[in-house]
Formats: sequence, C-alpha cells, structure tokens
Amino acid sequence: MAAFIIRRIFWTIPVILLVIFMIFMMMRQIEGNPFRRTERAVPPQVQANLERKFNLDKPVYMQYLLYVKGVFTLDLGPSLILRDRTVTDIVKEHFPRSLKLGLLAFIWAVLFGIPAGVIAALRPNSIYDYMLMFFSSIGFALPSFFIATLFIYYFALKVNAFPTNGWPLGFWDVDSRVVLPSLALGLFPMAYFARLVRGTMLETMQQDYVRTARAKGLRWRSIVTRHVFRNSLIPVVTATAPLFGLIITGTFVIEVIFSIPGIGRYFVSSVSNRDYSVVMGITVLTSLIVIILNLFVDIAYGFLDPRTRTSRT
Amino acid sequence: MAVNPRQATTLQPQTAAPPLAETAGAPIRQSSLWRDAYRRYLRNKGAVASAVVFLIIVLYCLFIPGFWFIPGIWTTLFDIDPNQVNFAEARLPPSFEHPFGTDQFGRDLFTRVAKGGQVSIGIGFAATIAILLIGVTYGSISGFVGGTLDNAMMRFLDALYGLPYLPFAILALAIIGTVNFWTMVLALTIASWFTAARIVRGQVISLKENDYVRAAHAVGARWHRVLTRHLLPNTLGVLIIATFLELPAVVLGEAFLSFIGLGINPPDPSWGSLASEARQGYRTHPLDLWIPCLFIAALVLCANFIADGLRDALDPRTRET
Repeated sequence: MAAFIIRRIFWTIPVILLVIFMIFMMMRQIEGNPFRRTERAVPPQVQANLERKFNLDKPVYMQYLLYVKGVFTLDLGPSLILRDRTVTDIVKEHFPRSLKLGLLAFIWAVLFGIPAGVIAALRPNSIYDYMLMFFSSIGFALPSFFIATLFIYYFALKVNAFPTNGWPLGFWDVDSRVVLPSLALGLFPMAYFARLVRGTMLETMQQDYVRTARAKGLRWRSIVTRHVFRNSLIPVVTATAPLFGLIITGTFVIEVIFSIPGIGRYFVSSVSNRDYSVVMGITVLTSLIVIILNLFVDIAYGFLDPRTRTSRT
Repeated sequence: MAVNPRQATTLQPQTAAPPLAETAGAPIRQSSLWRDAYRRYLRNKGAVASAVVFLIIVLYCLFIPGFWFIPGIWTTLFDIDPNQVNFAEARLPPSFEHPFGTDQFGRDLFTRVAKGGQVSIGIGFAATIAILLIGVTYGSISGFVGGTLDNAMMRFLDALYGLPYLPFAILALAIIGTVNFWTMVLALTIASWFTAARIVRGQVISLKENDYVRAAHAVGARWHRVLTRHLLPNTLGVLIIATFLELPAVVLGEAFLSFIGLGINPPDPSWGSLASEARQGYRTHPLDLWIPCLFIAALVLCANFIADGLRDALDPRTRET
C-alpha cells in the first residue's frame, strides 16, 4: 500500500509540471499580453527595468522555472491591474469564499443525493423511484443559472425566506444567506450522485456475493448496509474528483448571479480586464486542486478496492 | 460491438421467415446488426419520444428564421429578421404574430430563440464532431500502438484532465482573441476532447484482443487495414452514443460562457445569451427566461435519453444486467 501511494504521488509531480507548462505557454500566446514587448513609447531604461522586474529578460525556460518556483513558494507574482496587490493576496482573500460555497454545495449533494439514490434503488420502478429520478433528471438538465434566478425570485423576493443580500465573508460564518447559492450549485452534483448510487446499487444487488448473503439467511437490512451500500460507494468516491471540477466551473456562474465576491467572479472580471497574471494564477490554482483531488481519490480507491493497488496506475 | 450469439440465434427464425405480404421469389430480408439495433431502439418508447422532440427542436431552429436563403424557392417560414429592432413593439406579450412575445428592443423572440438554437445546437454539433475526430485519432493511435507511446499519451491526457473545463475554455477563447461561432467551437473542443480520446482508446484496446483481429493479423493484413477495417468500424456504436453524451455538455458549456458574457457577441443570440438578457427583467417578463432555458433543458434531456436508448439498442449485453 505504501509503495502504491508513493508511486501515485511520484506520478503527480510531472503532471503538475506539465499542467503549469501548458498554462504558461497558453498565457504567452494571448494577444495584447503585457508579457510581450510592446510598441508603447517607453524609455528603453524603463522597458529594461520592467522586463527585469517581471523576469522577461531571461530565456523562456528560466521564466517557466521561476514561475514553477513561485507556485511552490506561494508567490504567484503581481497583479497587472491592481498595482499594490499580488495574485497571492487576491487568491487568499477571494478563494476561501468560493471554497465555502463549493463545499456547502458538495454537502447538499452528499446529504440528499446519496439517500435519494439508495431509496430509489431499494424500490426500483416504484413511485418513489420514478419521482426521485424525475427530479434528478430536472437537476441534470436545467442549467444552474436558470435555477439560481428562480431561487432568487421565488425564495428571496417573493417569500423573503432566504435573503441574498451579501455573503458571510468568514470561512466559518454560515447563515441563511448561504442556502440559496449553495443549493443552486449543489443541484447538479445531487442529481449526479442520486443516479450514480441508484445505478451501482442495482448492479451490486445482482452480484453473486449478495445472493450468497441472502442464501445463508442474513437479514436484508444488514445485506444492504454491509454489502451493497458499501460497495456502491466506490464509484461515488471516484466521481468526487471530476464532480469537484464541475463545481468549480459552477461557482463561476453562481458567484456572478448571487454577487458573491469569490474567486470565480474575480476570474471572469480579470479576463475582461486582461489581468493576465491573475487569470494565470487562478487557472493554475484550480488545476492544482483538481489534480490533488484526483490523487486523493486514487489513494482512497486503493484503500477501498485492493485490486487496484497491484496494477500500475 | 460483436453480435451477441444468444441474441443472434433467437432472432434468426423471426427474421428469416418472409412477411406475409411479400410475394414468392422476393429476397429474404436478412437481419443485420443495424437493423436489429433499429428495432430495439423503436421498442424503447422514451427514446423514440426523445428523438421526436429532438428532431422537432432542430427543425424549428432550422426553418423558422430561415437557415437557407434561396430567393424565390425558399426564404423562411416566419418572415421576421431576428435582429430587427423595433421600439414601437417592445415587450409585447405572446400573440399570434409573436408567439413568444418580443424583448425590450422589440425583437421577435420566436425567431430569436430559433436563431439562438441554430447557434447553440450548431456549436454543439460542430464541437462534438471535432471532439470525436480528435478523440478517434488520438485514442486509436494510443490504443493501437500501445507500449511506451500509449503510456506517454495517457500521461498527457492525465495532465489535461487537471484543467477544469470552463477556465480552460475561457483561456482558449482569450488566446484566440476574437469570439465568433467557429472560435467558440474551437475553444470548447480544446477544453473537452480528452474524454472521447479515452473512450476510443479503451474500446480499441479491448477490441484488439478479439480473435478476428488476430486472424486478420495472421492472414497478413497490414496494420492500417486492421485499424480502419476492423477496429474503427467496431467503435462506431460507442462513438454514436458518445455524440449524444457530448452534445449536451457542449451546449451547456456554451450557454454558461454566453451567460457570463464571454460567449457569442450581440446582437446574434444564443440560448445562453438570451437567458442572460432575460434575467435582468425576470420580475416583469418571466417567460423570456423560461423559454430559452426550457429549450436547453429539453435538448439536454432528449440527448441523454437518446444516448440511453442507443446504448441499449447497440449493445444488448448492457441491457441484460
């Protein structure tokens, strides 16, 4: 097991370097990039000093290596628009808000999606099953910006149950204002989990070991909890990493709609402002999150399913 | 996509017997994989209904604003320019003349939604085809050659998987510089081609072990013949399913980009930008938001059901479990 974990971590390092390299090269291609030599009337000394400050006088591979070093020492460089702030400052300020939103959405998905899937799987083709799968189809198909707009209109304006004025800024501050954004963001993962759990549980119930457990007279309740449900959780764990990628994507839209000052909204405005070092920093950060989540998922998978440990990742 | 032997033996007696209406001497209709699949698909009522709805949506989008302007032969069913501003008719409720009403600039929403559908579905199909082409090329090379090259190519895919979809697409758009139909297609393709590559690779690797591939090798078929005649045609079923799974993801991705203002430029609509415009006035004109969003939802749902139906139809083994 230790060898498996070490090998898996070892594989992650080149992946991280490659991702940073790709983002770095992409950012260099953007038109109107201040990283390029411009034709503005800047005195040569100033230009030279600017280039030295942003390491532009060095060859490309040195710039890349310096950026990688910056990523690992949490120094993502200065913002190009806000002169007095670094990208790290911006990330530190805005990222925890988005993280809270994403985690709450994930909690919604786990709290309601998994039980819904279990109930539907235990009574397949019943009225519960059809109703739950109907709602999960809706959560699957309706775009989150539509759901968010409806939420604001019906639950915040018409029935003033969940105010949406502002966002509790501290990471641990949770009040009624977080309900609507996190629920709107969590509906898709919720529907996803419900379908996934239903599908895998129905499949697991056909397995021979479940029949054996029934044949030797175990109670149905303990078969479901000990054999079926636990085995059905493996795909759920695997789905967590790509799902978090989707949640990150979703925060962009949800933050714009609910005016949450998180990292997604900042990213969107940075793209419009052409604040490329911020765009680059946030992209690298989200990529690192997805890669590290993938790593955790693979390791957890190794614990849950011993067969994967021996095969090469 | 081998024919299940059990399925084949049970089906032959039915199909080999000529139907009553046919006269003697008519050729006996043979059962093929595709005909079987077609019959199995028709048996799935949900999938058939979805296909019908899907077709209606596509036809509506193509014909209402006039996709083909052939003067004298075919102009358009609904002779209104979707981008025609007319402030005298702003914010009209639905009527016979304007079935979905008009927006704050007096533009007819019935044609605008159809035009937006052309953009959304068009981007969806174009990007899906591009994704599949890249995926087939990359995945078949990786799976067919195997060994070190396969390993290296898969590492590269692993790295790409680390890039989240929307930021990646936004970055790609920023690099391209201009936003129009084809650059949107390009950006969405760049951001999401890896899943298709993985599917094709997995399929090629599992097919490679089949006896008929070994037989082809044994009788001296060259590698390109094995690849193009034996391996790729057998991935076709999986690819058709993948099309209908990829399409909703691309349509939603385009809607998200348009919604946060990084999509197709106004005045040309897409379903995402129509929803984005309507969000401001939701309090007074809820229908403007509901219509494009319901179209997106209907398209996504139909594509999902069609994919499910196709999977059952093309691969009977999955249905039995």
